[in-house]
Amino acid sequence: MHDSKANDSSVSANARDFAKKRRVNRSAKLKQCKLDARREQWLSQVKGNSCKVTPMASPPTSSSPPVSMPRPQSCLHDSDMVFPAHIPISNSSGNTPKVGCCLNNSVSRGGSTRSCSLSASDGEEEGGRGEDNVALDDWEAVADALSAYKVNDGCHPSHDTGGTFVESHVPPAPVNDPCVQSTMKPEATRTIPRAWRPDDVFRPQSLPNLYKHQSFPTNMERHFGAKVWSHPVILSAPSSCPICYEDLDPTDSSFLPCDCGFRLCLFCHKRILEADCRCPGCRKQYSPVEGEKMDMSGVAPLIPFQLSRSCSMSSRS
Amino acid sequence: MLDVSRVQKELADCNKDKAISGVSIDLHGGDGDLSHLAGTISGPVGTPYEGGTFRIDVRLPSGYPFEPPKMQFVTKVWHPNISSQNGAICLDILKDQWSPALTLKTALLSLQALLSAPEPDDPQDAVVAQQYLRDYPMFVATARYWTETFAKRASVGIEEKVQKLVEMGFPEALVRSTLDSVNGDENMALEKLCSG
Repeated sequence: MHDSKANDSSVSANARDFAKKRRVNRSAKLKQCKLDARREQWLSQVKGNSCKVTPMASPPTSSSPPVSMPRPQSCLHDSDMVFPAHIPISNSSGNTPKVGCCLNNSVSRGGSTRSCSLSASDGEEEGGRGEDNVALDDWEAVADALSAYKVNDGCHPSHDTGGTFVESHVPPAPVNDPCVQSTMKPEATRTIPRAWRPDDVFRPQSLPNLYKHQSFPTNMERHFGAKVWSHPVILSAPSSCPICYEDLDPTDSSFLPCDCGFRLCLFCHKRILEADCRCPGCRKQYSPVEGEKMDMSGVAPLIPFQLSRSCSMSSRS
Repeated sequence: MLDVSRVQKELADCNKDKAISGVSIDLHGGDGDLSHLAGTISGPVGTPYEGGTFRIDVRLPSGYPFEPPKMQFVTKVWHPNISSQNGAICLDILKDQWSPALTLKTALLSLQALLSAPEPDDPQDAVVAQQYLRDYPMFVATARYWTETFAKRASVGIEEKVQKLVEMGFPEALVRSTLDSVNGDENMALEKLCSG
């Protein structure tokens, strides 16, 4: 009698434990599922653009250097400069100070170049692709310069000493710095006027117009053919998905599927990719890279991509 | 597989500031069916719809929020983009321009904006649209008359009417249902109560 009672309680305790475990398992599984989706996404991107595998692989965040519209001319300048900059490395290791300096420029450029390529690949596929590939070329140059720099770094640790030397020998480089400083200011003021404050009571949650307004500078830059832009400071990232109203976990929060800055959770994103594939924030089609991942079996989405790649090859030679 | 939690949050969110926004939304019936809702919008100030309260029937498809809600005016309204016969609405965000980032509240606010900015070139009701284009003063007069006739009676001072009729000795529940059935017309309700 006594025994059976004890047994009962232990059984029920076991059952409770089991239920708990299952709950935990379930949430862990859910998280794992999201992580998998995320990884898959990256893999598909990396597979597509293998040369994009660089240290700057993370998507542009709001902390990346603020660079603004007035820059385009100088930016073009800088990215052109990347090639000449890494020629001297191979010629003589004595020029390393110069390299170090140029490299700093080009690396900082690198982070934003990628974000540019992301944005460009979104709207018009042909045009966007073309730009994307220019960006890719820059990336390879950066990667080359980076590896060369690493090799030479050991022999010339004090590369700052050549500062003045650099300025006199590499004309485009000095143009860069004052430019950055002068454009930093307008950027700071540009973000101030805003129709809605993020905490405004009347602000409809994720009003599309707002995002349109945000993406405007991006379009401008694309128009000017600029290689550099940093993502406009995103209004404080939402803590919950604006589609399903569930909380965003860290994976979701770092997920930026569209250059309009509209964030959503991976589940809702997947659901949209299965349907009309348009970003809820700006109603534009999600970028081809994203689309491509979804229909790997389809041949059509792959063709423009391969075409544009071969295009880039010919333009490089 | 309607997203119940989202709809519930939207309802709470929309009704939080209905006095300011002029739009509200509630369950249509008492059975707790979240896929059938009743929205109201107040007529925008400075338009022939000013002062009116317009009721809108809202049905949520199972794919909501990935599919647009189905909305239709219950209150009769004279507007080029709203059918004067059945209240059907011609508005892009309720069709191909819907985005899951929109909400019931933003959709209702868009309807409110539609009331203040008719698009006669893309009409739902051709008769109204023609009148709008050819005889604008007449259009305004008609729209105002419809607002007075259909959009005001039902809601303005319904409590006072109820109270009046209750004071006459009729039970409150019956008064409310009768008023409801005659669309808020006090005299008709009284007639009906007396005859019934």
